[in-house]
Amino acid sequence: MGIFDESEHEDDPYICAACGNCTMVCPVFRQMKWESFGPRGRLQNIKTTLKKKEKLDEDYSRKLFLCSLCGHCTSVCTTSIRLDRLWIRARTETWERGISSAPVRFSFKSLENYGDPFTMGPSTRTLWMEDLDQSVKNRIGKPAEILYFIGCNAATRPQLQGIPQSIVKIMEYADVDYTLLGEKEVCCGALFLWGGDRKNAARIMTKNIEAIEKLKVKRILFSCPSCYYTWKTSYQEILGINIAEKYQLLSTSQFISELNRERKLEYEEQHMVTVTYHDPCVSARKLNIISEPREVIEKIPGIYNVDMLHSKEDTRCCGNHGLLALSDPLVSSQIAEMRLREVSVTPASRLITECPECVRAFELATTTTGYEIQVQTLSQLVAESLKDKTTVSGEDS
Amino acid sequence: MKINVQDLEDIAGVDNVSIDDETINLYSRDISSLPPLAYQIIKRNFDVIVQPESVKSLIEIVRFLKTNEVSIVPRGNGTSGWGGILPSKGGVSICMTQMSEMIHIDEYQTRITVESGITWRELLMFIERLGLTLPVYPSSAAAATVGGFIASGGLGIGSAMHGNVMTQVLGIEVVLANGLLIRIGDLVLGPKDDLQEEARLGNDWMKTQLDELRNNGVTNPLDIFLGTYGAFGIITRVTLKAIPKLMMHSFACSFDNISDLIHAANALLEEATPYHLRYQTDSYTSKLTSLTGLVNEEGKHILSGAFMGTVYQIEDNVERFNKILELHLGTKLSDIRAKFHWAERMFPLRIKRLGPSLVPAELMVPISKLPALFEETRSKLKNSKYAIEGTFGSDGESSFLVWILDDERKTLSYTFGWHRSFDISSMAKKFDGKPYAIGLWNVSSANEFYGKKHYRFLRKFKKRVDPQNILNPLKVFGGRVEAAKESLAFGFFGGLIAALTLGLIVPNILNLHWLNEILWSQSVPIPLGLIVGLTGGIIGLLFIKSLSIQKALRFGVPLLRLLAKVFVRKQTEA
Repeated sequence: MGIFDESEHEDDPYICAACGNCTMVCPVFRQMKWESFGPRGRLQNIKTTLKKKEKLDEDYSRKLFLCSLCGHCTSVCTTSIRLDRLWIRARTETWERGISSAPVRFSFKSLENYGDPFTMGPSTRTLWMEDLDQSVKNRIGKPAEILYFIGCNAATRPQLQGIPQSIVKIMEYADVDYTLLGEKEVCCGALFLWGGDRKNAARIMTKNIEAIEKLKVKRILFSCPSCYYTWKTSYQEILGINIAEKYQLLSTSQFISELNRERKLEYEEQHMVTVTYHDPCVSARKLNIISEPREVIEKIPGIYNVDMLHSKEDTRCCGNHGLLALSDPLVSSQIAEMRLREVSVTPASRLITECPECVRAFELATTTTGYEIQVQTLSQLVAESLKDKTTVSGEDS
Repeated sequence: MKINVQDLEDIAGVDNVSIDDETINLYSRDISSLPPLAYQIIKRNFDVIVQPESVKSLIEIVRFLKTNEVSIVPRGNGTSGWGGILPSKGGVSICMTQMSEMIHIDEYQTRITVESGITWRELLMFIERLGLTLPVYPSSAAAATVGGFIASGGLGIGSAMHGNVMTQVLGIEVVLANGLLIRIGDLVLGPKDDLQEEARLGNDWMKTQLDELRNNGVTNPLDIFLGTYGAFGIITRVTLKAIPKLMMHSFACSFDNISDLIHAANALLEEATPYHLRYQTDSYTSKLTSLTGLVNEEGKHILSGAFMGTVYQIEDNVERFNKILELHLGTKLSDIRAKFHWAERMFPLRIKRLGPSLVPAELMVPISKLPALFEETRSKLKNSKYAIEGTFGSDGESSFLVWILDDERKTLSYTFGWHRSFDISSMAKKFDGKPYAIGLWNVSSANEFYGKKHYRFLRKFKKRVDPQNILNPLKVFGGRVEAAKESLAFGFFGGLIAALTLGLIVPNILNLHWLNEILWSQSVPIPLGLIVGLTGGIIGLLFIKSLSIQKALRFGVPLLRLLAKVFVRKQTEA
């Protein structure tokens, strides 16, 4: 069989205590309600497959991809099994055996040909800046202190263009020396990794590294937590390059928090807006970015955050991560609806998050449920709350 | 009886029924990894899994299965290891986890009614927002269901102050094996009080039965259903007592020897009434990597827990705790370490990482007997890797949980090694204790566990409510096992060989040549000796077929012990 032979996961199916902690928090299980779709069942099936030396088939692969890789199972595992890594290892096996699902294969083809999973192509990566000043466009490819790595979702999806625009607005406001990759930016490699194609992940990662090295940056800012996490950990795992040692990596909230501390941002008083912050799974559980976004919200006068029942490390997935939206869009959107129900019992009129994937999932869920709530990223909230620069300088004088 | 799945789907809903092999396999097991030999006496899998969505639907399902004489096994989230949810005779597993609503909260009288499929964690998360908590909840609260845990009973977090988990149950609603619905105790349903007519009919039937059996000594009908693994009915709704969530102060200390720990624990229970009190012995703490290098914890006996009360009560208790430690030579651990141990209360299975498999054994014994039991267990398991821990109750008893570390991939040694679990459990009597739970594997001790009088009553009630024995067969009451083909073949050939051997050897030894001639005469088409042999085979087969689980274990465990001695090399303590 050899699925996990001589890997760090060799003993994992046997170490599992079958306590069920993972299954209870799994968003897919909560939706599908049968154990075979939860982590405990999935691991048990892997164990049975190993024992019986059964052939891996497409149904096995389908169930492996019915997982958002949100990492909640890993965070509650009694025996500390790195389940998120184990699922990816198992997916790698399905990719290598050619039994991955058609949507996954299709999007990987797009990644190979266009550098993004949506068959958009490099030229669409700069569409978001069409209405912005020429000075912003001129920053592409210019050496600077900070590189803003936009990520496929925010760069190419029309409905998410407000995210890079808001981050650029904040950077311009705070006179940050930044640069952009423009059309040279490609996927961070996360999608290839989630689908198990390590070879192409390595190729695409190398491309990004080559592009960055020319810019002589010291810091990299991410608007997508998955990109951040991939740069931070997977580049080392796949290419053996410790990115975090070479560059300072920053999430949007960490970056804005820093600007706040340096008093580079000034805010307009808002009119008593209650928001609820949704911690993206990767930010809260893998990057431990929990206090920064809340600090940022607190800093804006008139904005109040109310946490949902499941928040911080215990946050629940939006359903859009880990290729789930690609493998089973229905389950993915049902998970987002489930999370939105939790939002609906708070007094919040806005749902704030830090991840473009979450924004996309919740925007869709507001349509399917008819629940009216504004979904924004933290950067969008901050950008629209900034005081007019002229007013600031007027006050200063 | 073959199950008509389509009929079942019509009753329960298509999405709530599964006959998918993979799903069936998952729902046919609990947390223990049974050796393949276990499936010689129980079925490996259920035939169908059903997840009812409402009490009404459950009633219909039970009635349908009863009419078709199909075995039913109720299930929560499968977080126990006593075999209570295993498919002893196949049939249908009824998983209750879809019925997980909160029904009613009575904040003034601090009572809460829930559907039995809700997990303790979900319930706790909710009521803690109201400033309440539960007197007792299991260490497996994250996944264990309310119904599952009260149907098996046991100690949990809070038992040092409030005792067994069953003491907080005020009332329950049960769908009986005969398909009737009953409500007993103080079940508060509030505005969701539906099915009243059904419940009235059921309660009338129940009253008649209890009246007829009353002289057998049962005083509280709740005792029929709590801790009896759904052998009489499936618990659907439960009213639990809640308590105000007062201040919680965790503590932890370590000892060089177990006797000092027990003395300190006894003193604490008497003088300071902690909310929770747990111990981990040196065999446990020497293995946890999270304790490596901590001189006051690694390889020491650790006592940890929490006080609950007002700030003044906690101040007093901390003072008592310090004095007790001084008297019994304990070392107080820092607040950070105390908090760590308090957080770890929910993860007793951490130790499994070192197995990777575990063979568990658990007893309930008087606290005073713990040091002697500890020593004897040590000597019994001197050739094994193991870890011991336990939880203190409020009535002078403590659980004694032994995790024997093993590796199920080494099939022979793992299978034969299971005798150790039964060996530890069998020590209960010697130390004035009893098994921790009955389930499937401890049915031989059910009489002592429930008490003779009560057990006799339970048997009589079982005959009335479930004369076909379809509800959770073999659990609690034992009975005839479902022997696998291999066992039947073993019985047949064993009997055949034994009879033939006797037919050949005995006449020669006793010099009864005439008997030899009769048995093996060539003048008849089939020699009589062969008929004797075949008769022996049939007797052997019938013997296996008639084996009860109690007898199967009585014969099987010594056999495992013997095989282990012959074939298994020593596992030295790490």
